[in-house]
Amino acid sequence: MSVLVAQAVSKHFGGVAALDDVSLDVRPGEIHGLIGPNGSGKTTLLNLLSGYYPVDDGSIKLGEIDLTAARVQRRAALGIARTFQKPRLLATLSVLDNTMLGCYPGTRAGFLETALALPRARRDYASARDRSVEILHGIGLGQILDRRARLLDHAEQRFLEIARGLAMKPTFILLDEPAGGLTEAEIKALSRIVLTLRDSGIGVLIVEHHTDFVFRISDRVTTLNLGRMLKHGAPEEVRRDPEVIRVYLGA
Amino acid sequence: MTDSRFRVAAIAVAAAAAIALPFFVADQYQLHLATLIATYWILVAGLNVVVGFSGQLSIGHVGLLAIGSYAFTILAGQHGVDPFIATMAAGAIGATCGFLLGLPSLRLPGFYFAMATLAFALIVGELSLAEQDLTGGGAGLAVPGFPAPFDTPGGFYWLVLAMAALVTWVTANIARLMWGRALVAIRDSEVAARANGVPVFRMKLLVFTFSGFTAGVSGALFASLQTYVTPETFTFELGLFFFIAIVVGGRGGILGPFLGLVLLTLLPEVVAPLARVGNFFYGALLLVVVLAVPEGIGHLVSTLRERFRPIKVEKQPVSPDLTRLATAIHAGKRG
Repeated sequence: MSVLVAQAVSKHFGGVAALDDVSLDVRPGEIHGLIGPNGSGKTTLLNLLSGYYPVDDGSIKLGEIDLTAARVQRRAALGIARTFQKPRLLATLSVLDNTMLGCYPGTRAGFLETALALPRARRDYASARDRSVEILHGIGLGQILDRRARLLDHAEQRFLEIARGLAMKPTFILLDEPAGGLTEAEIKALSRIVLTLRDSGIGVLIVEHHTDFVFRISDRVTTLNLGRMLKHGAPEEVRRDPEVIRVYLGA
Repeated sequence: MTDSRFRVAAIAVAAAAAIALPFFVADQYQLHLATLIATYWILVAGLNVVVGFSGQLSIGHVGLLAIGSYAFTILAGQHGVDPFIATMAAGAIGATCGFLLGLPSLRLPGFYFAMATLAFALIVGELSLAEQDLTGGGAGLAVPGFPAPFDTPGGFYWLVLAMAALVTWVTANIARLMWGRALVAIRDSEVAARANGVPVFRMKLLVFTFSGFTAGVSGALFASLQTYVTPETFTFELGLFFFIAIVVGGRGGILGPFLGLVLLTLLPEVVAPLARVGNFFYGALLLVVVLAVPEGIGHLVSTLRERFRPIKVEKQPVSPDLTRLATAIHAGKRG
């Protein structure tokens, strides 16, 4: 099984080093928590992994495949899904249609096949639809398949974005503050979903401020501070680390 | 579902009415208007995929219409090419021009892209005036008609109607199948489109090329319907007219822009005073729609319903079904 690796990556914005020589890997069937104060570079690292920013230095690899210069779309096609801090949904489309967008990397039909509704285009559509319906029922949005995304509450939007990521048949999913704005009960549901993803063999990277949630479900935790790696290890180890407590967790 | 059965019935009734139209019109002018709407629709349906779905604001499609018209007129009128082959050639030339225009301009942000299409339309207008040997300059060119049975107003109407129906079916397929969702993603959130593997530029270029094809075909039929073309036929206002029809009709649908086109074409004919104010009418209608029903008249019913009878959203906590989720994930496991 291939591992998603950021090797000694750096990223500068203007004169500011957002990330400086940070390494991190995400393994299939594992939950990796990424925590740190505001501005420590967590989301920047996620954007480097999913390809929204090019790295200034270092490399990104998926197994043997070098992704350092690969575009966002290629990384998606290779099975790296992600969600956003502020969910990026298509407001006028239904819950089902939003999820089906995630099946796009599996689309085989080209423009002419689609325009003429040839069998392959219809098969793409039917399999995307079936898969999306199953995922939505699984994630708990099965009763609102036809509701437009703009009518959803915050938790539903977050869960829908995860469903869209899963529609892609990902080997890795990168979650950017999935617990942000959720109630305790919703975070419990989220935990169960994330654990199910892990048990299904998906590698999960969670960028999160909600440290209790991260320590509870992660297999490994990485802490960043001011763009540098502060501590990396098992949740208990990181939680007890005096330096992590000093700069982030507080006494 | 009764919903889709209703839809099929509605389409069947509309098709029957459209086919029977030549038997019910009061005079030839009404038939001419119906043919004109169907001709415009071939262009607008293709443009709608670009504007209404992928969100690229082209205001210069009149340039592609002009190219299709002149291509048809020159090929069929001066070189004796069969009108049907000339129509397809006009489509191919329109597609080529669309491709060449889209290649540099579709990478530009929205405002600059709109300006590029505007510049293109102006250049085509000037060239059609300047290239006298090719286009007849300001004097224009006579356009040949189609052979029997399409040489009567009714026959030509049915020909255009058949092509319009074909283009509508094609755009409906694009909208309904996987491409439709990807195009809307390009329009509403390019970040989400990329995250889901959508090749943004390639897709924009393909649908823009397609709209060039429909504009070229529309131009051929338009020229034949007018029987005579001059550079003044292809005013910049005509390009805006196509664009406004889509905005008034509403983005992200097919029926809406069609209704917009019919409304914009027929209202000045039916209400005589409106014809005199011309562009003022289009401007006023656009303003009213943008302010009152920004979703477009195609969504008028649903917009009003949502405003006066908001959908009651009963709160239900999200409760995942983990067994089903795991099964769904495994169903798609990458080998």
